[in-house]
Amino acid sequence: MILELENISQRKNGQRILSDVNLSFSKGAFFVLMGPTGCGKTTLLRVAGLLDKPSFGRMKYQSEPIPHRGKERLHVRRRMATVFQRPVLFRGSVFSNVEWGLRIRGISEDEISRKVSQVLVMVDLEGYGDRDSSTLSGGELQRVALARALVIEPSILILDEPTTSLDPNLRFNLLRRLKDLHSETGITFIMATHDFTDALSLGTTGAVMRNGRIEQTGTIDEIFYSPSTPFMASFVGMKNVFPAEFSEDGAIVEDLLIRHTSNKRGHGFLAIPPGAIVVSRETTVTSERNHFAGTIICIEREGSIFSISVNCGNLLMISSVTRSALSELDLTEGQDIHISFKASAVHVF
Amino acid sequence: MPQLLEAFRIALDMIVSGDPVVFSIAFRTLMISVTATVIAALIFIPVGCLIHFNRFRGKRFLVSIIQTLFSVPTVLVGMLVFLLISRAGPLGSLGMLFSPGAIVLGEVLLIAPILTGLTISALSGMGRDVADTALSLGAGQLQMVLKVLSESRYMVLTAVLMGFGRAVSEIGVAIIIGGNISGYTRTLTTAIALGVGKGETSASIALGIILLALAMIVSVTVNTLQHSEK
Amino acid sequence: MTKYIFTGLLLIAVLSAACGGQSEPSAEPAMEQTTEIAEDAGNESVPPRASVSRLRVATTTSLYDTGLWSYLEPMFEEEYGVELDVLYAGTGKALEWGRRGDVDVITVHSRSREEQFVEEGYGLERVTFAYNYFLIVGSPDDPAGLEGMTPEDAFTTLMQNGEAIFVSRGDDSGTHGKEKAIWAIAGYDYEDVRTSGDWYVEGGSGMGPTLVMADEMRAYTLSDMGTYITYRSDLDLEPVVDQGDILLNVYSVLEVTSSRNPEMAANLREFLTSETVQDLIGNYGVVEYGIQLFTPCAGEGIQGI
Repeated sequence: MILELENISQRKNGQRILSDVNLSFSKGAFFVLMGPTGCGKTTLLRVAGLLDKPSFGRMKYQSEPIPHRGKERLHVRRRMATVFQRPVLFRGSVFSNVEWGLRIRGISEDEISRKVSQVLVMVDLEGYGDRDSSTLSGGELQRVALARALVIEPSILILDEPTTSLDPNLRFNLLRRLKDLHSETGITFIMATHDFTDALSLGTTGAVMRNGRIEQTGTIDEIFYSPSTPFMASFVGMKNVFPAEFSEDGAIVEDLLIRHTSNKRGHGFLAIPPGAIVVSRETTVTSERNHFAGTIICIEREGSIFSISVNCGNLLMISSVTRSALSELDLTEGQDIHISFKASAVHVF
Repeated sequence: MPQLLEAFRIALDMIVSGDPVVFSIAFRTLMISVTATVIAALIFIPVGCLIHFNRFRGKRFLVSIIQTLFSVPTVLVGMLVFLLISRAGPLGSLGMLFSPGAIVLGEVLLIAPILTGLTISALSGMGRDVADTALSLGAGQLQMVLKVLSESRYMVLTAVLMGFGRAVSEIGVAIIIGGNISGYTRTLTTAIALGVGKGETSASIALGIILLALAMIVSVTVNTLQHSEK
Repeated sequence: MTKYIFTGLLLIAVLSAACGGQSEPSAEPAMEQTTEIAEDAGNESVPPRASVSRLRVATTTSLYDTGLWSYLEPMFEEEYGVELDVLYAGTGKALEWGRRGDVDVITVHSRSREEQFVEEGYGLERVTFAYNYFLIVGSPDDPAGLEGMTPEDAFTTLMQNGEAIFVSRGDDSGTHGKEKAIWAIAGYDYEDVRTSGDWYVEGGSGMGPTLVMADEMRAYTLSDMGTYITYRSDLDLEPVVDQGDILLNVYSVLEVTSSRNPEMAANLREFLTSETVQDLIGNYGVVEYGIQLFTPCAGEGIQGI
């Protein structure tokens, strides 16, 4: 682990912004930090980047505790760099911006000009050195900020929603560049984002935050395909999430018994992906499937598929069907139908 | 009116011909106010930084007091410094009263709030962003402060010039603790005050023109700086 | 570019801080006595401060505004190799500076207060060195008809008239003290006079500016003769009352007890009372104004009122 946060809490103006955050970042990972706006991502990144001291908790860098002040802390901070959501460039040329991190480290002139030219090539800004920083476009500015952070060859590069202020085209380019940089440099990336596409295309590991707490952390696959809480399930787009009592027979949700493949007991949650629920006019009873009769409440179009809300007793289930299936079955609102789904499709947590 | 025009003509003559009295007073005034401004800048720009970059109880109150003191009456500062450095005062043993050094001291105190306050404004104008960026790139505290200061240099320079402008044009301090001693502590403003009282119109006008020119140089420079800020 | 300006500024800052205080203009050519905004000429090849001692004399404004001190200063400086700092103020302020120890010598004109100053131990001895007379001056048409009156009658008339304006120094100076003394003889309480109406104006400045003010307001004022004569050509003011023992105006020199340069202070007293300088004082302004401004009186036992 290159960086570990233990029981981190942060208060600002009497408000609790981070509560008991525990996270570890493994060396060379591309860690994506997700969560709705205002959940504390930026605050967490500031603590991780040693820009703010947490009100409570400990941090370790390469298993060594990071002190709250002094040379040692500065030494660790100098192994990191942060690119902010809306970076500001210093007055002067692109070159003077990029070289600054090296200059304050007392690097020699030769070394500086060599490294700066190198890193400008890396971010596709070759020949931009003499440009005045105030004349740059949004995409260029973002890349100068990136170069300025990369040039110091940090062990950890922290990026706070680097793509939010860019238009889609620039965003795509930057994402690709970040991916390349990550594989070329081996730097540990920690990136906050609220965009699943970014997370899925770049991340190796990640965490989701909610109200200043870590809701779930793990690999990207774990986060997206094995949500651990109802919030996580709905956060990653899962529907049909219900609280349930688990026993040997199955899970009781409201007055329905739902079969599943987990051996969970007691209180918990289950989720059924809408795509796994099959709608039919007739009952087709098979042992490994759950079957319920219900009434169609409404049919809504969601992009290229249709979402059908079915009332089964007291439970509202949502099923996704394609346009062709919809017309084939000739479904209408108020119609009585049957739904079924495999026991193995039920996600228990 | 013809008398005034005549006085004006003689005044211009004095300036053009480089009248030694007029120019020695102007030069002394310049030296005194430049020295005061430089000393004040060296002390109170760092003080402004300290206040801005530290969080402490009563900070906002302190800043608003500093801002109130921007326009502290010069005679009040003059009186205070007089009581301080008069032989009977706590710093009397220095024997500073009625010397150029005393005027410098008074003017340093006079413009201290302007330099401190405007430095704080300049730094606040930069926001947290520059400081955060500097820190995130590995700056130590001092490197960060210097970077923010250098990013806000036009505004800081404006603060210095405003301080100089006040120092060069004030009279309360110069007359009370300088004493308007001929050839020693006589400045543009005290000379003008004395000259007008004596009906020495031409010399006063000449000194006034120089004072005005200094003030204009300051204000034009400030405007230019604020323009290049954008 | 701006970076260099900034560094340059800091550099200047450090440099001028290093040589601060030493900033004196270099030699100035001597100038005629008539330019009175007056930088003291002649002796201005200012050597470093430490090697030349300074002596501070606080003088009443009338001795300053007449130009007498500007005239005598270079002579004294040359003779004793000292920098003489002449500070002008009303008698009250001059004595206060002396009490605080901020000046070495005082030349003023208020007998009772000087004697009190010596009695309290602040001054060594009251040594008179010149005198002249006070005058009540006013615009030539003399609206209150004071011409030829005694000073106290003139003041009584002003008080009863209540329209003709009188400008008082109002600055606790020797002249102001003299004015109060005249009011007392005339039988008025000074506070009553001060608050009796708009006709009584407290100027609050030196003798010269007060004369200028009286002229502007077409008012009467009490002035020492020296200053009045010096300013006369620029003013439309005539003497209306110039007779009366109370108008005697005696100038004296006092060495301040706490002076840090008592020897030089004694030198200045000796200088003022020396035969040569007494002659110079007697002749000062005679050529220019056609009238004697000061009568030398050192050692003559004239003490004043």
